[in-house]
Amino acid sequence: MAKNVIVAKDLYLEYKKNTPIIKDSTFSIKSGSFVFITGPSGSGKSTLLKSFYGELKPQQGVLQIGGVSLNDIKPSKLAFLRKYLGIIFQDYKLIKEWTVKKNVMLPLLIAGYSKNVCETQTARLLKHVRLSGKENYYPMELSGGEQQRVAMARALAHNPVIILADEPTGNLDEYSSRVIWGLLEGANEQLGTTVVVVTHSIPSNLKVPYKHFYIEDGKVYEIS
Amino acid sequence: MRSLKNHVSLIIPLFAILFAVEFYFVINAIIKDYESRLNRDYSIVVVANKELTLQEIKVHEPDIAQLQELNSTLVIERLKKNGIKVDFNELKNFLPKFYKVYLSSFPSSQKLASLRNKLVEIEGVKRVEAFTKVHEKIYRFLLFLKNISKLFLAIIFITSVMLVFKQIEIWNLEHSERMYIMALFGAPLWMRNAILIKLSVIDTIVSTLLVYLLYSYVVGSGYLTKLLGVESIGFTSSDLFKDALWLFALGLIISVFNVIIVSMRQPKVA
Ligand SMILES: Nc1ncnc2c1ncn2[C@@H]1O[C@H](COP(=O)(O)OP(=O)(O)O)[C@@H](O)[C@H]1O
Ligand SMILES: [Mg+2]
Repeated sequence: MAKNVIVAKDLYLEYKKNTPIIKDSTFSIKSGSFVFITGPSGSGKSTLLKSFYGELKPQQGVLQIGGVSLNDIKPSKLAFLRKYLGIIFQDYKLIKEWTVKKNVMLPLLIAGYSKNVCETQTARLLKHVRLSGKENYYPMELSGGEQQRVAMARALAHNPVIILADEPTGNLDEYSSRVIWGLLEGANEQLGTTVVVVTHSIPSNLKVPYKHFYIEDGKVYEIS
Repeated sequence: MRSLKNHVSLIIPLFAILFAVEFYFVINAIIKDYESRLNRDYSIVVVANKELTLQEIKVHEPDIAQLQELNSTLVIERLKKNGIKVDFNELKNFLPKFYKVYLSSFPSSQKLASLRNKLVEIEGVKRVEAFTKVHEKIYRFLLFLKNISKLFLAIIFITSVMLVFKQIEIWNLEHSERMYIMALFGAPLWMRNAILIKLSVIDTIVSTLLVYLLYSYVVGSGYLTKLLGVESIGFTSSDLFKDALWLFALGLIISVFNVIIVSMRQPKVA
């Protein structure tokens, strides 16, 4: 039996007082699993994901990532925890003043790897996301699909334990979507990385087994 | 262009602070030097009909640093030269003792007057002759400058620190997205602030260099010696170099301190 990496008990999330976005939700995600979170627009999918990477603290209930409670986590502990996460955002969140190469390198720099390791690992990842030759471009010089592939490379760079992706292929071209799904599957299958993806449509040709969570009226349901 | 403007708006207040601090240092050095020069330009002679000791008169005036007995004929010659009206015959008849008195600091004319009164009170003292070759005007002017520079320093310091703070706040906003993204990937505080600290260090170096060059020019040009009418001002380029190191440290402390304050004020991301 695999361990649970994410555990939520009676989770309650809100931005403004007495307006719950997520409430009464109890669920857990096993290590090495591939999880989809779906639900209507505005149902709280991004909000739930935010709570996983500690940007929104639960006001009630319990939320644990890797056995660490996020309820009243200290900034230094959160920074430590985040080193084990690889996050992909709908709006990419690339650092616009940095080149593609440096963006991908960010988690490696944070982890304190040597320059040599950073360079080889970054080159390898850029090849995986089919962006070799664009190392020295700035994000603004890339298409949306290319930017998201840079973000994908960055999320994988430090071999995270959990990948959290918020609509990673939301409005991407066919090719970029395929590259991204391929890499998410690959990380899950070959490295045992836990993958949590928020999406509005689950790709039909997925090769790995997956779980499906659905959010409706603020409650998280595990439907398969 | 944009980043140049950003640098200038930190360099100007830092420059102002360092300029004011150095101004204070220079004025202080000049005053010290001037005081030691002035010390040689006053003379107090005590005429007594008995022997005096330093301990004895120090009781009456603690500022007396040294007591030197003078050969009486030499004294008379000297008093004559200086145009002091003394009854020389009377002096010869009594063959009194002459002492030259040195003080620990340069006396003002009031101080000299009160000193004279005190010395005359001492038993055995017949006369006290005191005079200064008065450079007092320039001395007073320097003291005035010193006080003004203190005020000047305080005002510049406060306004400039506020400007430094504002500029770093602007930087923080400009870089907040980058710092936020770094935080999402677990970058520690120092790493997120590294860019601001780097900018601060660069601007502190530039400001210190500007202050150094400006003062080098002023000190080297001989403008101050001419202004004060002295042959040297007791402030050399090696003093300036030493000061520059202090100024650099001060500038660094102010800007890095501000970076820390600003980053703590920022709405917490991590
Ligand atoms: N920063 C915020 N402050 C206040 N309300 C927010 C914020 N972000 C999202 N919301 C609200 O939370 C609800 C869920 O948003 P979100 O989680 O982004 O939905 P989804 O990702 O499922 O489309 C929405 O009603 C939205 O208006
Ligand atoms: Mg969303």
